[in-house]
Amino acid sequence: MSGSSRSGGASGPSGPNGPAAVAVAVAEIEGLTVEVDGRRIVDGVSLRVLPGKVTALVGASGSGKTTTGRALLGEFPPGARVEGSVRVAEAWVGYVPQHPAAVLNPARRVGALLHDMARGQVRELPRSERRPAARSRVLAALEAVQLTDGGALLQRFPHQLSGGQQQRLVLAQALLLGARVVVADEPTTGQDALTKRRVVDELAAVAARGIGVVLLSHDLETVRALADEVLVMREGRVVESGPTERVWLTPTHPWTRQLLAVRAPLTEPVPRGPGPAAVLRVQGLRARHRPGVEVLRVPELAVHSGECVAVLGRSGSGKTTLARCLAGLHRTYEGEVLLDGVALPRSLRDRGRDRLAAVQYVFQDARASFDEHRPVLDQVARTAVRLRGVAAPDARAEAARTLDSLGLSGESAARVPARLSGGELQRAALARALLARPRVLVCDEITSGLDTVTRRGILDLLAGLLRDRDDLSLVLITHDLDTARLATRIAVLDGGEVVEQGPARDVLTAPAHPFTVSLVESSAGPAAESAKSAESAGWA
Amino acid sequence: MSGLGSWAARRLLFGGVQTVAVVLLVFALTEALPGDAAVALAGDQPDPVRIAAIREAMDLDRPAYERLADWAVGLAHADFGTSLASGRPVTSYISGAFGPTLLLASLTVALLVPVGVGLGVLAARFEGRWVDRLVSAVTLGVYAVPEFAFGVLLVTVFALRLDWLPPTAVGYGTDLLGHPAALVLPVLVLLSRPVCSLSRLVRAGMIDALASPYVAHARRYGIPGARIRYAHALPNAVAPAAQQLARTVDWLLCGVIVVEALFVIPGLGTVLMNAVAERDVPVVQGLAVVFGVITVVLNLGADLVAHRFAPRAEVAA
Repeated sequence: MSGSSRSGGASGPSGPNGPAAVAVAVAEIEGLTVEVDGRRIVDGVSLRVLPGKVTALVGASGSGKTTTGRALLGEFPPGARVEGSVRVAEAWVGYVPQHPAAVLNPARRVGALLHDMARGQVRELPRSERRPAARSRVLAALEAVQLTDGGALLQRFPHQLSGGQQQRLVLAQALLLGARVVVADEPTTGQDALTKRRVVDELAAVAARGIGVVLLSHDLETVRALADEVLVMREGRVVESGPTERVWLTPTHPWTRQLLAVRAPLTEPVPRGPGPAAVLRVQGLRARHRPGVEVLRVPELAVHSGECVAVLGRSGSGKTTLARCLAGLHRTYEGEVLLDGVALPRSLRDRGRDRLAAVQYVFQDARASFDEHRPVLDQVARTAVRLRGVAAPDARAEAARTLDSLGLSGESAARVPARLSGGELQRAALARALLARPRVLVCDEITSGLDTVTRRGILDLLAGLLRDRDDLSLVLITHDLDTARLATRIAVLDGGEVVEQGPARDVLTAPAHPFTVSLVESSAGPAAESAKSAESAGWA
Repeated sequence: MSGLGSWAARRLLFGGVQTVAVVLLVFALTEALPGDAAVALAGDQPDPVRIAAIREAMDLDRPAYERLADWAVGLAHADFGTSLASGRPVTSYISGAFGPTLLLASLTVALLVPVGVGLGVLAARFEGRWVDRLVSAVTLGVYAVPEFAFGVLLVTVFALRLDWLPPTAVGYGTDLLGHPAALVLPVLVLLSRPVCSLSRLVRAGMIDALASPYVAHARRYGIPGARIRYAHALPNAVAPAAQQLARTVDWLLCGVIVVEALFVIPGLGTVLMNAVAERDVPVVQGLAVVFGVITVVLNLGADLVAHRFAPRAEVAA
C-alpha cells in the first residue's frame, strides 16, 4: 500500500453547509493505480466528489469501479501495489454495500454498532449525560432515513428486518458517522423496480443533505436517475466522463455507446403458438413455509411445449417458492404439479432419473451451485452420466460441445469455478442443466447479479435456446421486466397470489392489475422525477 | 418468545425421557454384571449359604422388575433408597460427595472461561504470527497428554520433588476449601485439556468473525479494536464454544473419576467408582439420575446460549 495518502481534515470546509462547501471537493482521487500480481485493476483514475452531488462510476463487472470506490474507504485488495493519492475531506467515509445484511452483525442487536459509534462521539460530555446524548443521536439518525419507531427497531436482530429496513439502517450508520462522503456499491443490483425506486429516493435524500455520494453501479437506469457526474470505466481506466445528461445524449467513446445501446429492447422473440398439450401444469397449489403460514397460492398455471413463461414479481412475492415447488425443492404444499398429466412427487428424492432430468433448475447464484474444487467441464458432464446413463467420455464430449455452443471455450471450461466470471459460470450452469435434456428449464433470477452487457448475452442465449430446441420450455423467474419480455406468457405474482396472467404482449402493454401497472410504470419512466422531487421536498 | 418457551419445555420433557432411559439402561447393565452386592459383601471367602442369606436379607432375591418398581416409587417421593453396602440413604452419599465435586468444577470453570477465551482471542488476533503459533503449539501439546499422565507428572514435580503442594487430599475430608493448597494440582489437571479445546474453538470462530464484512464495517466506522474483538466479533464465536463448555461442565460434574482417584478427593466420581465395585445398585442409580438431570439441563442451557448468539439458526427440538 505504499504511496497512498489518506489525509483527514486538512482540506475540508468548517461547516457542512458553509458557502465554500459547493466548490471544494469532499473527496479526491488523483492518478490512482492499483496493481495486484502485476495486473492493473485500476489504471490512472482521477475523480472529484463534490458535496451534495452524486458521482457515478459505471462499467461492467471487473472494470475496476469497486476497487476505486473502496480506495475512498482506504481499503485495497490484499497484496495490492498502490500509486497516486486519495484525499478525503473528513476522516470518515460511509459505505453502503450491495447486500446490507453482510455488514450487519448477525449475533448483535441492530443498535449495538450504532450505540458504540455514538458513544465515541459524546466522550467529552459529563459521564451522566453520555448515555441519553448517544441515544438521541442514534434515534435522530434513524429518523433521518425514515426508520420510524427507532426504539423498538434497535432491539431487533438484523435477520428480523426487511431488506429495505436493512438498507436504510446502513444509511443511518453513515449519517450517524457524520460522513461527508458515502460510497454506495451496487445498491440496486438484483432489486425489483419498486425497490430500486425507493433506494434511488433514499440516496438522493442523502445527497440533498450535502453529502457527496459515490455510486458504483452497472444499473444504468439508477445511474441516470441519480447521478450528476458519470465516469465510464473499462479495464481499470476511465474512458469517458462528464455530466450524466451529456454522456447519455452524446456519448463520445465507442465503449460508452455500446454500454448504453444494450438498453434498447431486444428483438421480439418469434411468437410461436403453444404446443398442443401442457408439459408442466400446476393445479391448486398452496405452499407453506411453516405450518399455517401460507406463502403462495397458484390455482392454475400451465407451461406448454416450446414456450417461455415468465413468473414476474418483487422479492418476497413467492416466485422462487413456486420455482422450487416445480423442481421438487419445496415439499410442503397442497395441490399438484403435473408433468405430462402425471403428478410429480413432491420431493426430489422420490423422483426417478427421467423425472429429475425432465425438470431442471438453474440457480441465481451460479457460483454457489458449483463445487469449487473440480473443473467446470467435469461437473457439467456429470449430469449426463447421472441422469441419462451416458458413458463418461461421451458425456465429456457432449458437455464440451454444449459449453462451446453457449460461448464457453474448452480452455475456460477446464478451469475451476473460481477462475471463471459470473457470466461464464451462469453459462456453465445452463449447460449443466441442458445436458439432462430437460423438458422444462426453470431459471431463477439467473441474470440479476450480472452487469448489463453480460445479462444481454445470457438473455440472447435463452432466446436462442427457445428458437433452436423445439421441445424445451422455459420458466423464467424474474423481477425484471426486460427479462420478462423474452417470454411468450407472463404470470405476475404479488404477495403469494397470481394477480395477472396472460400473453406477454398484453401484460406488458395493457397491464390490468394495479400492481402490474405500477411495475410497468416504474420501469418505463426512469425514476429521475422522483429523485428530483425528493431533493426539493426539503430533506435537508 | 413464547415459541422459545415452548421449545425449552419440550426439550425439558424430552430430557426427562432421556434420564429415565439412562436409569433403565444403568439398571439393566448392573443386573447383567456377574455377581451382585451380596457377593461383594460376602468378602474373600464366598460361602454360597452366606451369600444366599445376605441376598434374602437385602431383598435381592426378589425379581428385578419389582426392585426397580419399588425404587421408582420411592424416587417419586424424592427418596433415592438406601445403599446396599452401608445401609445409609443414597441422598447422603450424593449430597456429601457433591460438595467437593461442585467446588472443583466451579473453580475450574471460573478459570477455564477467561483463560480459554482469552487465549483463543489472542491467537486469532495474531493469526499466523508467532503468538498464534506458540499458543497453538502449547495447547495442542497439552491436549495430547492424558490427564492421568499429566496429573502424575505434576504430583511428581510439585509435590514429591519440590514439596510445594500436598500430593493428595487425603485427610482433609470434604472440607477442601479449608485447604486450598490441595486444590491447586487437581484444578490444573482438570483445566489442562478443556482450556485447549475451548481456546481452539474460540480461535476458529474469532478468525472467521474478524475476517467478516461486519467487523470490517465496524472497523471502518472507527470502533476501537478491543471493543470490536470482544463486543462485536466474540459473540459470533460464542455459539460453538458454549456447546463445548456445556460438555466440559457436564464432564466436571458427572464424575471426573481419574482426577478424583488420583488426588483422593471424595467427590461424586469416587462414590460412583466405589458403588460399582460394591455392586451397590441404588447408589449407582441415584447417581445416574443426578448425572442425567445435570446433562439435560446443561445442554438445554448451551442451546439457549447458542440460540441467543446465532439467532438466525432455527431451534431444533
